[in-house]
Amino acid sequence: MSALQTFMLVVEHDKEEAKRIAESVAHDLESKKTSLIEIVQGLAEYINDEDPILRGKAVSFLTSVIKSLPPRFLSRQQIQVLTTFFGDRIEDGGAIAGLKTLQALDRFTKDMAAETAQAMFSNFQDLQSRSQSQRFQVYQLLNDLMSNHRKALLEMGDISLIGIVDLMTGEKDPRNLMMVFSILKVVMMEWEITNHAELLFDSVYNYFPITFRPPPNDPYGITAQDLKGRLQDCISSNRLFAPQAIPALLEKLDSTSPNVKRDALNTLIACIHSYDPDTVSRCSITIWEVLKFEILNAQEEFLSELSLEALKGIAQRLSEGVTETTQELPLAQYLKPITKECNEQLQEPQQKQAKPAQQILGSLSSSSVPAFTLVVQTVVAPIFTIYQEADGIVKQRALLETLSVLFESAINIFGKWTTRGSEVSFVNPLLEFKDQFSDVLGQALMGAAKEEASFRVTALKGFLRLSTLRDFFQDNEIGLFVQYLDEILLQEESVGRDDLKKEAIAALAEISKHKPRLIMDITFPAFVATLPDEDDGTNTIYLSTLDTLAQISVERDIFETLFRRLFSKLSILLQKEQPGSVGYPRAILVTLLYVMQQRDMKADPNVDLYFDKIVIGLCRSVSEAASGKSKNRVLNDATILDTLGRLCNLLVRSVSIQKQEQVAENVYSLFSSPSDFSPVPFSQGATADQERTIIVSTYLLAGLSKDCGNRIPYTSPDVSGLLQDLVMRSVSYDTEPATHLSFLRHLALLVNKFLSKQDLNIAETAFDGLVSGKGILNPGTIRTVFWLSKALVLRLAPTTTHILTSLLGLLSSPDQQTSAATARGFSILLGDDDVLSATNGATIRLLSKQRVFTTVVPLISSRIRDVNTAGPADHTKSDHIKPAHLTALACILSTITTALVMPELPTLLPLLLQSLDLQTLDSVAVRAATLDTLAVIIRDNGVAVIDQCGHVHSLVERLLKTTQAKTETNAVNTPRLRADALKCLYLLATKQTPADAGSKAPEPSISPLLPEKNEVLRSLRAVLDDPKRDVRKAAVDARSAWLRGVDDVPEDED
Amino acid sequence: MAEMQNSNPTILNVADLPTRSRSTVKSADYGNGIFAAVANPADFLSSDSEDDDLLEEPIDEQEIYDLIKTISDPEHPLSLGELAVVSLPDIFIKPTLPNVPESPLQTVTVLITPTITHCSLATVIGLGVRVRLEQSLPPRFRVDVRIKEGTHSTGDEVNKQLGDKERVAAALENGALMQVIAKMMETCQ
Repeated sequence: MSALQTFMLVVEHDKEEAKRIAESVAHDLESKKTSLIEIVQGLAEYINDEDPILRGKAVSFLTSVIKSLPPRFLSRQQIQVLTTFFGDRIEDGGAIAGLKTLQALDRFTKDMAAETAQAMFSNFQDLQSRSQSQRFQVYQLLNDLMSNHRKALLEMGDISLIGIVDLMTGEKDPRNLMMVFSILKVVMMEWEITNHAELLFDSVYNYFPITFRPPPNDPYGITAQDLKGRLQDCISSNRLFAPQAIPALLEKLDSTSPNVKRDALNTLIACIHSYDPDTVSRCSITIWEVLKFEILNAQEEFLSELSLEALKGIAQRLSEGVTETTQELPLAQYLKPITKECNEQLQEPQQKQAKPAQQILGSLSSSSVPAFTLVVQTVVAPIFTIYQEADGIVKQRALLETLSVLFESAINIFGKWTTRGSEVSFVNPLLEFKDQFSDVLGQALMGAAKEEASFRVTALKGFLRLSTLRDFFQDNEIGLFVQYLDEILLQEESVGRDDLKKEAIAALAEISKHKPRLIMDITFPAFVATLPDEDDGTNTIYLSTLDTLAQISVERDIFETLFRRLFSKLSILLQKEQPGSVGYPRAILVTLLYVMQQRDMKADPNVDLYFDKIVIGLCRSVSEAASGKSKNRVLNDATILDTLGRLCNLLVRSVSIQKQEQVAENVYSLFSSPSDFSPVPFSQGATADQERTIIVSTYLLAGLSKDCGNRIPYTSPDVSGLLQDLVMRSVSYDTEPATHLSFLRHLALLVNKFLSKQDLNIAETAFDGLVSGKGILNPGTIRTVFWLSKALVLRLAPTTTHILTSLLGLLSSPDQQTSAATARGFSILLGDDDVLSATNGATIRLLSKQRVFTTVVPLISSRIRDVNTAGPADHTKSDHIKPAHLTALACILSTITTALVMPELPTLLPLLLQSLDLQTLDSVAVRAATLDTLAVIIRDNGVAVIDQCGHVHSLVERLLKTTQAKTETNAVNTPRLRADALKCLYLLATKQTPADAGSKAPEPSISPLLPEKNEVLRSLRAVLDDPKRDVRKAAVDARSAWLRGVDDVPEDED
Repeated sequence: MAEMQNSNPTILNVADLPTRSRSTVKSADYGNGIFAAVANPADFLSSDSEDDDLLEEPIDEQEIYDLIKTISDPEHPLSLGELAVVSLPDIFIKPTLPNVPESPLQTVTVLITPTITHCSLATVIGLGVRVRLEQSLPPRFRVDVRIKEGTHSTGDEVNKQLGDKERVAAALENGALMQVIAKMMETCQ
């Protein structure tokens, strides 16, 4: 059998074999064992057969052989012969593929390309009746010719234009259409189409609007959006389409479907951006007339936004190349009817349609400088007139808002003071009205009645925009505004929600970025002058002054001024015999802290100065105060030390490693000499004042880099002595709470951050020493145990599991106190801490939370099961054990994310339900935490997850019980619990997936909530009379959500 | 929906609508502004003491107003509050039986001001307000919704309809009407 015959036999079922045969023939051809003529002649027998399949197979053989040849093997002549051969048989299978191979060869000429194209145009009149894949092949060939031999096709002129259009007319398959659109776009852009514009336009516009919806699991991944994009490119590709396209698209806006309107608007926008300005100008007014309706009577917000974008686009196109504004410009002609319409709408600026008019002006005026100028010229003067004649403040405010919109556009076009880049060569047309603006806004801001807060806020915002607008106001004019703001903040009484003051602060902060000098010269002296020397208890107005100062001092130069002023205030205070309340110095420290937190202190060139003054200077003063050598007791106060500590912590983190090493060496001595102050560790009989310095020491330690560990005193040869000392101080009864917490944090920092792996056993020994063998522990010891555990668990020490089981063991202590304190301690374990934090470089392993949760929950669950099944004989001894376990669980849940919770939900849910059964006052916190967790679970996962565990009824029942203010069992349900339970009920009804997830076909399943509906509605009716307003509000929301959302049939009947 | 009857009504700014002033805010305290950011040293679960747990907060006019001001107008994507269809001074709460001081029964009266005097949707709005209040108030409240005198050309007719229990009940059986009302209430929160 010949190679051809074998090929024809296998080609249908064994592609590999067929390919191999073709390759071997190609090889023979290369080695001249056979010739091309022979091969073609060999086909003769089949290519005239009546059976098209047979013919196709024969032609495919030739194609396969050619495909397997090296690209430069065939001579030009041979290619010519083959092209003609394939062209004659173009309808036979394989011919298209053959031509596709040939046209990619270097020796394929322009004439051959034209011949091929002609063959396609002449022989495929019936193309649309062929299969999708055949059509796809033809388009592919055409596409290749377009990219490789475009010139040949272009020279065919109308023949190829009409041929291409005819070939593809009627195509419906989305995959093919993607190619059709891209081929047609090339024709539209490069062919001479003057005589055929309508034909071409119709060839694509017939597809508008695209309503294609990809089938589920579509392997080709073509979306409606892909098709829309290509179609849009076609329609917008040539300005000659404008006479057809624009009216047709505008007509589509009459459609009732918002989606069709969206497509029409998007295409319109594309046309505006792509057609030339003259063409755009010709249809500009027609477009406005139609879009006006879409904006003034907005059906959907996105339609109004798109319409505004289209109008803005036109203004941008018409502004191209405009250097001078005259009324003869096409741009001016376009804007004239628009501004006229807007002016009319603004006659009654408080009415509904004034808002869209404002939006139109805003979007047009921000399109270009010439458009801005023309709009301002026609709009501003009439606005002033209406403003003067306005009969009420409501009207005036609406007008100020309109002006503010124009100011916003001005900023978009001319920039702010801080904007970098070239100056705009146009003169800002607003300058003409500068004094008027200043007068009107100033009058509105300062002259209006104090109750008219929202009017004044509007004026303030307008004034602020003008003040930040580049090259507009002079410094003295902005200075006037700054003075107004100062006056509002310093002299006016608070009114209502204080919106005006908040805005005033925000405005000063904004101005400080543009004109820091004005803030330093005007606002600072005025504000600092009102700060007292000390707080004598009569007036705490300084708090709001400091608050404002803090918020406007983020800029570098201003902060330096703020620091100097406040630090000197503080230094004077520390020298006073009668310093007044410590609230004042603390507020000063908080102010400095707040601003430093907002700034990047590492990059601040003055950071070393701040470090010297605060960390070295004030810490030394703290040591003096602790030894009783200072004038007053300000620096003995725990809250002062805490704030100062935070400040030091931030600064230590921001300075160089050399400075940090210096801090490490002084962490306990606080930069004092040994004769003046004895550090806390190992000191015998330390006073409370002395011990309190550990607060500052702890913050210093927290800020240090791990690399400074070896510089910390008392740590060589190892840290065990220091740890022992800290443990001893931590478990002691009579330490002050703040000092105690610092000892605990200090201990945890050393163990978590500075202890090396080899030395971990020191900490573990300490842990065992505290826990093992004892059934009763005092609260101090329990806290120490938990902080030590926290330090170890966060770094996932090897003994983590042992630690966790030991802690759980304490819950079952026969001593109720020990058990309850342990339960609450579980919130320490994973709770976020300001000191032992990632910011401070603590070792917090990513999986630590998950590890704790997955270890602890199954153990708690099985322990509770044991308690539940144990007979009542045991009861008296173990009454407290179950609540303790539930409390521990709630404490852990409140410190982890719900994502971790979800896999354990089936185990967890019964426990949470049992938590809700608790009724006493002690359990309020547990129940609150439980409700929080439930709320998050329901919010993120819907009812379905609870239904899957089969607990919907039990959950609803318990939630309803929790909403009762008074119950038969005298359960204590605080208002917060009641509101939280109602929130859960609300979430249940609003998160019934998949009912509201599906777009078209909601699953006809019955809501699992339905059996509960009547009971919920009945029960909540009574809660509507709760004595607390917030609870009633939550009840109203929950009840209407159930009324509305819980239904037996999905609402699809119209 | 058919042609709008009033396409360009006057709108009040949401910020200007009457709200409950939280008088409990202690002025100038550490609880405010930047000073709230720095926590006092605290540990363990603090059981939030709710001192004013026992303080009763009775239902007042502002609360009624808050319940109905967010209902949407059937014509505009605006709320009844913004359109001033309902306003605080036009809401009254009185004991239903003034002669029986120990009776808990109360009557809420809401007067509605249509945006234009011939608004045919006044009945629907009134019905919406009524439904909202009946769903949101405890059973001891009687709800009375009426058109404010002199603000509507056929006010008496509408009032008769709104006051008639039978007719209200019949209206609530009407599916199309209930859909309009359900749509109005979607914005309630």
